[in-house]
Amino acid sequence: METIIEVKHLKKAYKKRKSKEYVHAVNDVSFQVKKGEIVGLLGPNGAGKTTTIKMICGLLIPDSGEIYVNGVDNQKKRLEALKHISAVLEGNRNLYWRLTVRENLNYFAGNRGVSKKEAAERIEDLLEKFNLKEKENELVNRLSRGMQQKLAIMVAMLADSEIILLDEPTLGLDVETGYEVRELLRDFVSNYNRTIIISSHDMDVIQDLCDRTVIINEGKVVTNDKIENLLQLFQVRAYTITLGGLLSDEQQRQLLQKFPQFEYTPDTVESTLKVNLLRSEEIYDLFDVLKKENTPVEAIDRATVNFENVFMKIVKGEFNHAMGPSS
Amino acid sequence: MQWVHLLNANVQKEYLEMKRYLPNTIALIVTFYAIFLGMFAGIQIIGDPASQDVNTQYAIVNYIFWFLSIMIMQNIGWEITNEAMRGTLEQLCMSPMGLWRILSARLFSSTFLYLIIIVVLLVGTMLTTGQWLNIDVVTILPIMLLTLVSMIGVGFMIAGISIIWKQVQAFLQILQFILAGLTFIPLSVAPLMVFLPFVKGVDLVRNVMIKGWSFQEISGVDFLILGFNAIFYFILGLGVFLFCERIAMRKGLLAHY
Ligand SMILES: Nc1ncnc2c1ncn2[C@@H]1O[C@H](COP(=O)(O)OP(=O)(O)OP(=O)(O)O)[C@@H](O)[C@H]1O
Ligand SMILES: [Mg+2]
Repeated sequence: METIIEVKHLKKAYKKRKSKEYVHAVNDVSFQVKKGEIVGLLGPNGAGKTTTIKMICGLLIPDSGEIYVNGVDNQKKRLEALKHISAVLEGNRNLYWRLTVRENLNYFAGNRGVSKKEAAERIEDLLEKFNLKEKENELVNRLSRGMQQKLAIMVAMLADSEIILLDEPTLGLDVETGYEVRELLRDFVSNYNRTIIISSHDMDVIQDLCDRTVIINEGKVVTNDKIENLLQLFQVRAYTITLGGLLSDEQQRQLLQKFPQFEYTPDTVESTLKVNLLRSEEIYDLFDVLKKENTPVEAIDRATVNFENVFMKIVKGEFNHAMGPSS
Repeated sequence: MQWVHLLNANVQKEYLEMKRYLPNTIALIVTFYAIFLGMFAGIQIIGDPASQDVNTQYAIVNYIFWFLSIMIMQNIGWEITNEAMRGTLEQLCMSPMGLWRILSARLFSSTFLYLIIIVVLLVGTMLTTGQWLNIDVVTILPIMLLTLVSMIGVGFMIAGISIIWKQVQAFLQILQFILAGLTFIPLSVAPLMVFLPFVKGVDLVRNVMIKGWSFQEISGVDFLILGFNAIFYFILGLGVFLFCERIAMRKGLLAHY
């Protein structure tokens, strides 16, 4: 597959208000996106996701680094690069509130140099898909937040560009609408061959839609891998052991030395022990400790991991991806 | 063709927003009509018609240009500030047409719409009062167009300043007085003002309407000055705007939320 977005050593610092200090919002970020790929951009608040997205969209000029969109340098040929991109940015307010749904769509089409006539068919199609046909003549400020968000996404899709960037598309939506938006995105992804970058705090959305994630923290890429790989990695290493008795203090002390993050839930009938292993051989070390006092082992299970846990672990630095078997 | 679609979309948008903010638009029209009526009444009621007539016509020409320039500048300043807050400015910035082209279309559309309102009101007032001004369309039109070009240039400067400076509203209030100076003071009083935007154009229109100058009576030099002034301020305004846009993209000022 050919690369459609290439981000190289991006850096961006903002000057703090009323001081000479700088916030290094993005600090040497590089990644690539292939044609037709759906990439999740993750990271805690303030990680630099929005800043990265805005640089790709040509709304922010990087302090250094390069961005190629379909091979076009977006700093040297900004408008040329923009032909391939559309985006839904943070918040749902990026619409004209005194215009109706259809008027908004017509206006944004016109601003890209497309006539009403040319856009008409696509608009009809989108209204249908997004279930906003009955609302087409409603003013945007009378729509619910979910409908406004759907319209914002429609505006981005209307542009018919190969690349779509979505910054927190489900933020602030109720469960039902969030789900609907997710379904729409998924449908869109499977029916139109677009390249999409989504930033979200909603791990379900990411897990559901994305092939791969780029996780950034404090302006740096900490992980760049397929979701299934990440899940698998943790799956293999996270064990829950059910014990038929209690652990002695000495055993707990030894475990703490080897597995600093182990979780022990004592119970006279059925205690549980959760450990994350760095290497699979470490399970023998664990058994050595148990064997010392002949602690009965009732069951060994691989802990089920959800993506949220994986994400938290990566961000907290509890896991060094370089050590992982997939790298 | 892209230009045509862009312009078309923006004329419609400006028109629709005028319609949606109807109370504001009506207030504007009523105020303007009342002032026109008052001025025309002045021609009829007060004293010696010979000189009064001239003074009032003078005031009307000044007032039209003042009003038009205020509307254009405040409209673009207000729109930019508002759209930066709403997030639509970023959407506009992502258009492959470029923000400056969209704003050209905006400025052109709003100028065009305000001009229509003024012309209709002016004709309306002349009909109600039965007083007819000397409006030589053939002569006035080219002067008017060139004058508007320089006005749009200044509009671009205001747009640029509005992007990088959040408290622009206060400045726009003061701007009204600067615009009054530019439209009210005749060149015969302050000849150096010919270098300022749209002063020459307003002066020429006054000569046409009051002294009855015809197209042939305006010298080539006058047109040259006017044309040069228009192009100069348009390019300067656009330059200032593009410069401000770059600053905004460096500092992340396109969204104020
Ligand atoms: N326009 C700005 N001026 C100054 N600082 C900014 C600006 N925009 C972002 N920042 C700072 O840069 C850092 C990165 O912000 P950014 O919005 O990119 O993070 P994010 O990953 O999108 O976070 P969130 O999940 O909260 O949306 C933060 O510390 C933020 O305070
Ligand atoms: Mg963000």
